[in-house]
Amino acid sequence: MKFDRFFELAKKAGIEEAEFTFSSTSSLSFSLFHGEIDSYSNNKSYSFYARGIYKGKMGSIASDVYNNKMAEYFVEQIIANASVVENDDPVFIFKGSKKYRKINTFNRQLGNIPVEKKIEIAKQIEKELKNADPRIVEVATVAYDETSNSTTIINTHGLKLSQKSNFFAYYGSAVAKEKEQTKTGFELYFGNDFEKFVPTDLVKAIAKETVSQLGGFPCESSTYKAVLAPSVVSSLMSAYISSAIAEDVQKNSSLFIGKLGQKVASKKVTVEDLPINKTVFAKSFDDEGVATSNRAIIKNGVLQTYLYNLTTAAKDGVESTGNGVTSGSKVYTAPTYLKMKPGKKSQEELFKEIGNGVYITDVSGLHAGLNSRTGNFSLQSTGFLIKDGKIDHPLDIITVSGNLVKLFNSVSYVGNDSKEFMSGTNCPSVIVSKLVVSGK
Amino acid sequence: MLSKKLAIEVLNKMLETGADYSEIFFEDSIGTGITIENGKVSTSSTGITSGVGLRILKENRCVYGYTSDLTKKGLMSLADSLNKSFNGERILTVDHLDLIKAPNRNPIKKSYKTLTQEEKIALIREGTNAIEELKDPRIVRYIGSFGSNYRFVAVYNSKGKWFKKETEFARLAYSVVVADETGMETGFEGPGCQDDISYFRNKVKPRESALKAVDTALLMLSAKECPSGKMPVVIGNGWGGVLFHEACGHPLEASAVSRGLSCFAGKEGEMIASPIVTAVDDSTIPNAWGSIDIDDEGNLGTKRVLIKDGKLVNFMIDDFNGRRMGKEGNGSCRRQNYKYCPTSRMSNTYIDNGKSNPEDIIKATKLGLYAVSFNGGSVDPTTGEFNFGCSEAYIIRDGKIAEPVKGATLIGKGEDILKKIDMVGNDLALAQGMCGAASGSIRTNVGQPTIRVSEILVGGRGGELK
Repeated sequence: MKFDRFFELAKKAGIEEAEFTFSSTSSLSFSLFHGEIDSYSNNKSYSFYARGIYKGKMGSIASDVYNNKMAEYFVEQIIANASVVENDDPVFIFKGSKKYRKINTFNRQLGNIPVEKKIEIAKQIEKELKNADPRIVEVATVAYDETSNSTTIINTHGLKLSQKSNFFAYYGSAVAKEKEQTKTGFELYFGNDFEKFVPTDLVKAIAKETVSQLGGFPCESSTYKAVLAPSVVSSLMSAYISSAIAEDVQKNSSLFIGKLGQKVASKKVTVEDLPINKTVFAKSFDDEGVATSNRAIIKNGVLQTYLYNLTTAAKDGVESTGNGVTSGSKVYTAPTYLKMKPGKKSQEELFKEIGNGVYITDVSGLHAGLNSRTGNFSLQSTGFLIKDGKIDHPLDIITVSGNLVKLFNSVSYVGNDSKEFMSGTNCPSVIVSKLVVSGK
Repeated sequence: MLSKKLAIEVLNKMLETGADYSEIFFEDSIGTGITIENGKVSTSSTGITSGVGLRILKENRCVYGYTSDLTKKGLMSLADSLNKSFNGERILTVDHLDLIKAPNRNPIKKSYKTLTQEEKIALIREGTNAIEELKDPRIVRYIGSFGSNYRFVAVYNSKGKWFKKETEFARLAYSVVVADETGMETGFEGPGCQDDISYFRNKVKPRESALKAVDTALLMLSAKECPSGKMPVVIGNGWGGVLFHEACGHPLEASAVSRGLSCFAGKEGEMIASPIVTAVDDSTIPNAWGSIDIDDEGNLGTKRVLIKDGKLVNFMIDDFNGRRMGKEGNGSCRRQNYKYCPTSRMSNTYIDNGKSNPEDIIKATKLGLYAVSFNGGSVDPTTGEFNFGCSEAYIIRDGKIAEPVKGATLIGKGEDILKKIDMVGNDLALAQGMCGAASGSIRTNVGQPTIRVSEILVGGRGGELK
């Protein structure tokens, strides 16, 4: 696509610097119910995002459609939006980083695999799942998603950057019944190398997730030693690391104000942002066109850096960390791929280590039950009681509550069972010394 | 919008391989948003959502695709790729399209498109100025925002019907962060409507909304941690209804019911709630946030009584999921935009008024929790298990509202809670929310009068309730 007309009109209208981001997304998805495809979808869409600096302020417009006739409207909207801005935050159309790391995580093969084969695998998963355990009474869904995206940024400083990514996911959910109790389980596999996917492993994981919670009952309300499963660590860690976003620190609404170089977690905790590692989340530049780089955010419990975009970096007199994410006329900040460094102990060894306590396998309701500005949380959970170092019984209808600062400072062991999640995280299990559990 | 001629061509292309229904959803929407942070306009933006979604049905199978390439070539090639999912002979041909006339219960006197940026900014400022005037050093950050949307959709289907619909809606929102030496808390208020800007002048006052957000945050700053355990819970009117929305509304959607994946599937005609509970989904309330005149399948919006005096009588049904249930759609088919395949969704969903005075409900409670408002929550429709985080809550002692508490989470199962409702107030109110599910994020009203549940498990960090 060419955007010359836009840049020409923008210049004439007095927009000092301008930028166009063009992205195209194709996706394929389908789901099965009772052996048949009950939904199938095949899509192609575009996104056109233009922004510009007018009289020192940033204005923008985003659209699903664009043609030369719309160039004038785009320019008008940028000016109209920039004209009302009052705050004095420095704004940037970026000139470019010195060096961009080449990242090659786009897998050409994925799109070439015939849809029929992808459907066949889903059918196999559904069939195996239905027979995986006599208590499984229904396979709610087995589904496939595949997305490929390409993004190009062009601006008036001559910067032109492109990157491509793709991934696929198989997921399924089943329903199990025993006596009066109904439980559902969900598991997902994602990646972009089709060869690596083992359908039977996904079946086992969904079945385990579905039936393992049957026969559960609440434990006594009390404070327990706890092993938190990787998915739980992922949810809580993402919320905790959001405190490292510089804008919130600058605006006095973060847990990490004044904490740079200080202890914010136990020395067992090291968390890194790894945008250039070979994952499906990898990117060589952020939404502002700044080159990304790997860095430790928390090292042995000590906060190493805040996360910056160009605006917040300029305010603190540092360089952007390449974590800019545009939305509307605003540039937000977010980590790309968060990895907590694993430890040495296996899950069994972690259970032995706590002796008696709880193993929390899932927390839900994070948007309502967790306040990342205060760190307080109170969440619906599932898990198991641990007795004499072994799993005793499933826990039904319990909540866990605490505070993220205290929780991450009380991590005494980190496991070696790291798992990668769709939210762009990679976490192991951990032991925390105190967790308030409400049950009976 | 598509010409009728092109629409018929695309509909027929979709039917080529034996489908029994085809549908075109065209959308051209524009949204604008302005944010004022700590007293200064910080951002203003414009977004255009424009594209077409094609849906083909054959028996219980659904094929969906979307594109923002609106040329004839783009549409025909999408239709052609989608119809490959079926491999039968054509059974249906569309030769005409008749206009469905829908009522207009949500008229807008003055379009948001005619408002200037300055008018919108002035509206937000009524609230942000009020916060500034407080000069309270505990307020560390406050944000006011106003978003307005114009949405145009046109739907054409193989039943030979088409319609077009313009909708406008807007939301004013205030969020604040307060802090002192004990910690940090947040507050939020976000009234919205499918009405013009006069709503924000006459029905809700920006100033009151903004100050309410501050009050809630400050109250929570001084609040103690909520005790945990099973206890009677009085749930406030308005936003309190989000509990019913999540725990009972979602399981009553045909998307879950038709596949037997709802805890209420197969229970029509049974007592699923206490006899004092009547619950309704009504998409016909004039100018209400969740109202729709016509749904995405061309069925008119209706008022559906879901639970009548405790008995399950109806569901939210769309035509496609209705096929598995042997029922027709009842105007519940919705989606966020053309990128989502539509399905059965709620509109304005509420527990209807009962007989008790709200004061009497508090008076009748010796020791328990008064949950006034929630941050939100979620549910597993198959098991009915839900969770909710309270944004404002108090302990009730000897029939009186006592100390505020923070960090309360309510968890349980929808089926159990419905049966344990033992008092229903007469102060029904609705509150505006965005509901996220398979077909995206859509506008819905939640609502209820003050109600009491005899026992809910409350999670919190404050130890045992004494």
